[in-house]
Amino acid sequence: MASITLQDLNTKAEIRKKTAKPLLWIGIVSIVMFFSGWTSAVIVSKGGNGNWLNIELPFAFSLSTIIIVLSSLLFHYGLISIKKDNKKMLKLAVSLTLVLGLLFVVSQFYGWKELYSNGIVATGSSSTNASSFIYLITVFHVLHLLAGIISLIVVSVKSYKEKYNSTNFLGVEVSIIYWHFLGALWIYLFLFLKYIA
Amino acid sequence: MMVLLVSVTVLLVIISAAQILKIAELSAISKGVKVYEISEKDNRVQAVLMLVFLVFYFSFFAWQYLKWSHLMLPVSASEHGVGVDSLMNVTWLFIIPVFIITHILLFWFAFKYAFKANRKAVFFSHSNKLELVWTLVPSLALTVLILYGLNNWNKIMTPVNSEEDHVLIELLGQQFSWGARYAGDDKKLGRANVNYIEGANFMGIDSTDNNCKDDIVVKGEFHIPVNVPVQFVMRSNDVLHSAYMPHFRAQMNCVPGMKTQFNFVPTITSKEMKKITNNENFEYLLLCNKICGAAHYNMQMNIVVESKEDYAKWLSSQKKFGSSLPNPSEGGALVETQK
Amino acid sequence: MSTHHHHDQDFLFKYVFSQDHKMISKQFLITGFIMGFIGLIMSTLFRLQLGWPGESFWIIDKLLGSWAENGVMAPDKYLALVTMHGTIMVFFLLTAGLSGTFSNLLIPLQIGARDMASGFLNMLSFWFFFLSSVIMLISLGVEGGAASAGWTIYPPLSALPQAIPGSGLGMTLWLVAMALFIVGSLLGSLNYIVTILNLRTKGMSMTRLPLTIWAFLLTAIIGVVSFPVLLSAALLLIFDRGFGTSFYLSDIYIGGQVLEHNGGSPILFEHLFWFLGHPEVYIVLLPALGITSEIISTMTRKPIFGYRAMIGSMVAIAFLSTIVWGHHMFVTGMNPFLGAVFTFTTLLIAIPSAVKVFNYLTTLWKGNIKFSPATLFSIGLVSTFISGGLTGLILGDSALDINVHDTYFVVGHFHIVMGLSAIFGMFAGVYHWFPKLFGRMMNNKIGQLHFWITIVCAYGIFFPMHFLGLAGVPRRYYTNSEFPLFDNLLDINVLISTFAIIIAFGQLLFLYNFVFSALRGPKAPQNPWDSNSLEWTAPVEHIHGNWYGDIPEVYRWPYDYSKVDENGEYIGGKDFIPQTTPLYDNETDEAH
Repeated sequence: MASITLQDLNTKAEIRKKTAKPLLWIGIVSIVMFFSGWTSAVIVSKGGNGNWLNIELPFAFSLSTIIIVLSSLLFHYGLISIKKDNKKMLKLAVSLTLVLGLLFVVSQFYGWKELYSNGIVATGSSSTNASSFIYLITVFHVLHLLAGIISLIVVSVKSYKEKYNSTNFLGVEVSIIYWHFLGALWIYLFLFLKYIA
Repeated sequence: MMVLLVSVTVLLVIISAAQILKIAELSAISKGVKVYEISEKDNRVQAVLMLVFLVFYFSFFAWQYLKWSHLMLPVSASEHGVGVDSLMNVTWLFIIPVFIITHILLFWFAFKYAFKANRKAVFFSHSNKLELVWTLVPSLALTVLILYGLNNWNKIMTPVNSEEDHVLIELLGQQFSWGARYAGDDKKLGRANVNYIEGANFMGIDSTDNNCKDDIVVKGEFHIPVNVPVQFVMRSNDVLHSAYMPHFRAQMNCVPGMKTQFNFVPTITSKEMKKITNNENFEYLLLCNKICGAAHYNMQMNIVVESKEDYAKWLSSQKKFGSSLPNPSEGGALVETQK
Repeated sequence: MSTHHHHDQDFLFKYVFSQDHKMISKQFLITGFIMGFIGLIMSTLFRLQLGWPGESFWIIDKLLGSWAENGVMAPDKYLALVTMHGTIMVFFLLTAGLSGTFSNLLIPLQIGARDMASGFLNMLSFWFFFLSSVIMLISLGVEGGAASAGWTIYPPLSALPQAIPGSGLGMTLWLVAMALFIVGSLLGSLNYIVTILNLRTKGMSMTRLPLTIWAFLLTAIIGVVSFPVLLSAALLLIFDRGFGTSFYLSDIYIGGQVLEHNGGSPILFEHLFWFLGHPEVYIVLLPALGITSEIISTMTRKPIFGYRAMIGSMVAIAFLSTIVWGHHMFVTGMNPFLGAVFTFTTLLIAIPSAVKVFNYLTTLWKGNIKFSPATLFSIGLVSTFISGGLTGLILGDSALDINVHDTYFVVGHFHIVMGLSAIFGMFAGVYHWFPKLFGRMMNNKIGQLHFWITIVCAYGIFFPMHFLGLAGVPRRYYTNSEFPLFDNLLDINVLISTFAIIIAFGQLLFLYNFVFSALRGPKAPQNPWDSNSLEWTAPVEHIHGNWYGDIPEVYRWPYDYSKVDENGEYIGGKDFIPQTTPLYDNETDEAH
């Protein structure tokens, strides 16, 4: 049996460099398809149902939108900084992004609370498909966001350990692509729920 | 017992075949033959088997056709079904020649060009002309089929014009039986919903709706007049069912929470069909054709096609829904109404 | 991710939690085959019931136990068997078993990569699949029995335990298993796509890829696009079943009471399901087509005819497959105009399919064919692809579909075009790449016998089903002798069931050959089929990183078989020129 040499270990790192981002991109495609399954389900359900309930989205969801846009901008600033080898700025930006990410989740909870107190419930006899879909879609967005938060935690720990510099910031890039995607996904879902559903 | 016997025999044959072939391989290895290489003789045998298979396949096809074609559905008993059948036949005219020609080519080439050490295969990697031909020819054939098919489809799917003389029937599927409801003299079906189901009112007819008074509900068998368009509305009480009336080339799913529809003009009475099929016991059937539970296989209803007069006579002998209500003023209070 | 790069890695990491694509490939193959054999046994059991309805069978009694009193299976358990047979065959054998095995084995080896883009994700992909298989099998043993609503699990039947016992815990486990399966399949697909696009060796341009790789790439792309939608459909069903939502349910009266669910529609499920369901057909079929393209070219000693047209038609099929799902729903009461559109897109698929068939035929023409078992199964695939594909013209035509929809005509059609074609492709692949998988050769003679028994019996089973369908026999009927309409068709069922029993035993030949050859077969030479593609330049024994030293460079496409110069002599002296051979002076690379 042959063995892997040191050279091959370099190959491993190189493979990772070459493939980490494409892997993520295609993963994103599948997440997009997952949500488009549901958003088209909303359209089909609405089309076949004369009594579709138009639900006013809670204010907290708008707040969440602002929060997630801010966090994306901030994170991006962090990326620009590390490209210039500004490790301090990266630390600051990533930690703030993490805080904003958690704030987003909190804000979503307030949104659900508001919905619930308005009598819009997810399941049971007093629920409608419109209300079930709102909860379902927003909850699953948050579930995907949790993965983003985990990656943010990893990136911030690593940035505090000064693992990143101007030549090595793949981890930041991967994390940022996913985070931007979550932001974009939320904006799409928000507009969809607001204007179409 | 028969099955067991066949199984044991087959098993024994297979085991011994495998053993013999394996021993042959081992002895070949001991003689230093590269066993994984296919000898020219073996190759020849396989090539001949290709032709044998071709003959087998076509004869099997022909044998089935000769033996079973009289068991297929008889001539269509509905007006649009004639169109469907001729569309089917035209499609077969496209399919069968292609099937035969491509199979002859496939197995003939396999036979003819079996490996010979002294021959060279021809390096022929592409030809735009050929590829264009077999893109365009199927496209043309398909254009014909699509246009012909859609022409039929649109005709079939057009509902009966409500001003025309017609019969309106609602078919209801439930585990595991069918019910049929005639609209009655007013040509209107009364409102119905699962919330009104109570006792004998398995179709959930809302007795407060005046349109339902003259509706007629039947089970087990329903009648339709020959040569009069029949407009069906399908509903389901529980799970998906599919109202399949193969002799009329008709099928439509029954979806809970939704009404679907289908229509056809029956053209052959049950009596005439008994003669055509040469079968005294022939009955038209409405079958369930969407998996719906344990007794899915046994969910059917007889259909009787008869002359207009006989149909009218039969219909007048059926009980009207309104007459089954104990007292019209109490009818609506049986179940709490929703919406 | 840490990789283990020692010779003496312990058993656990070498055989179980391996991140090596070749080991993962074998894991997929063996798990897939075990599931496949279970699916096969199930089909034989319910064929016994259909051929000899109501008769008592010792084997049914022994195998099904409480599902079959006195050796006669209960009607709802018949449906459970049909459902599980379909699920196992479509997803576990022909999706994971076929695509998982050969994508894993061939992608790195044929494109010249050390391994997959992410060995870790690849390992996860298998373990999700394995866990899913285990749960699916466990679901056979739970109270109420396994899922029984058909492999398409249409609600409300699948949503309501009151409707059929299998929709209780059995269906819950089915959904859990499928969710895991989808995750595993997505992780696999991610890897396949990224590996193919990013890790090709020097010189391996997209137009020098073997057709297998193109097929795997397109399969993975369809998977990434359509499997998530099945997941979203399944989640909605899970919520309807367990959490009181009504996405698919409305106006239901069952078990003597009206359910609370309101406002949903089962049609929504059908749309979402078939948005995966139809592409799934091609997820199953494309890898088989890729495998046979490669084998036919190698074994006829000719270049595959119309390489670019083959790619083009696969791309067209992959694209069209995502816009034809409505043809499964012609009689659901969909808008007739929509029905017309779906008829049009569906029948369009016939064009690229025809191109593929004629290209196969032209490849055989004037070849120099060696009939290895792989060649036989490949030719068998062309035959089943034609025989089954042609009846698709009838089913895809909305007007004709009305009367054959959900009858045995459909069962015959899709078993031939999808089931047989895919399994033939899988068998062909196993016979052909067995030396790459296990370093040993399979027995040709037993393989050939296996082929002839299989193809004769397979047509013996599925061809007569068209006649049953044209006689109006609905599918998923426990028996069709309950009322007189189909009484005279019993002979056909007996014939089909007899063939089904023989074919089941016939597969023992394969099992025997497979196991015996893997353990004791003659040692494989490096390039047993004189093939051009890159995997045969790798050493027979499995090593991490696939090649000793550098990865070979590629200078030509993989189909330079029997290429001759102007004097009619083989260029390079042999009837094949491996991809690693630089162009000769007297040679032009205009082949494709």
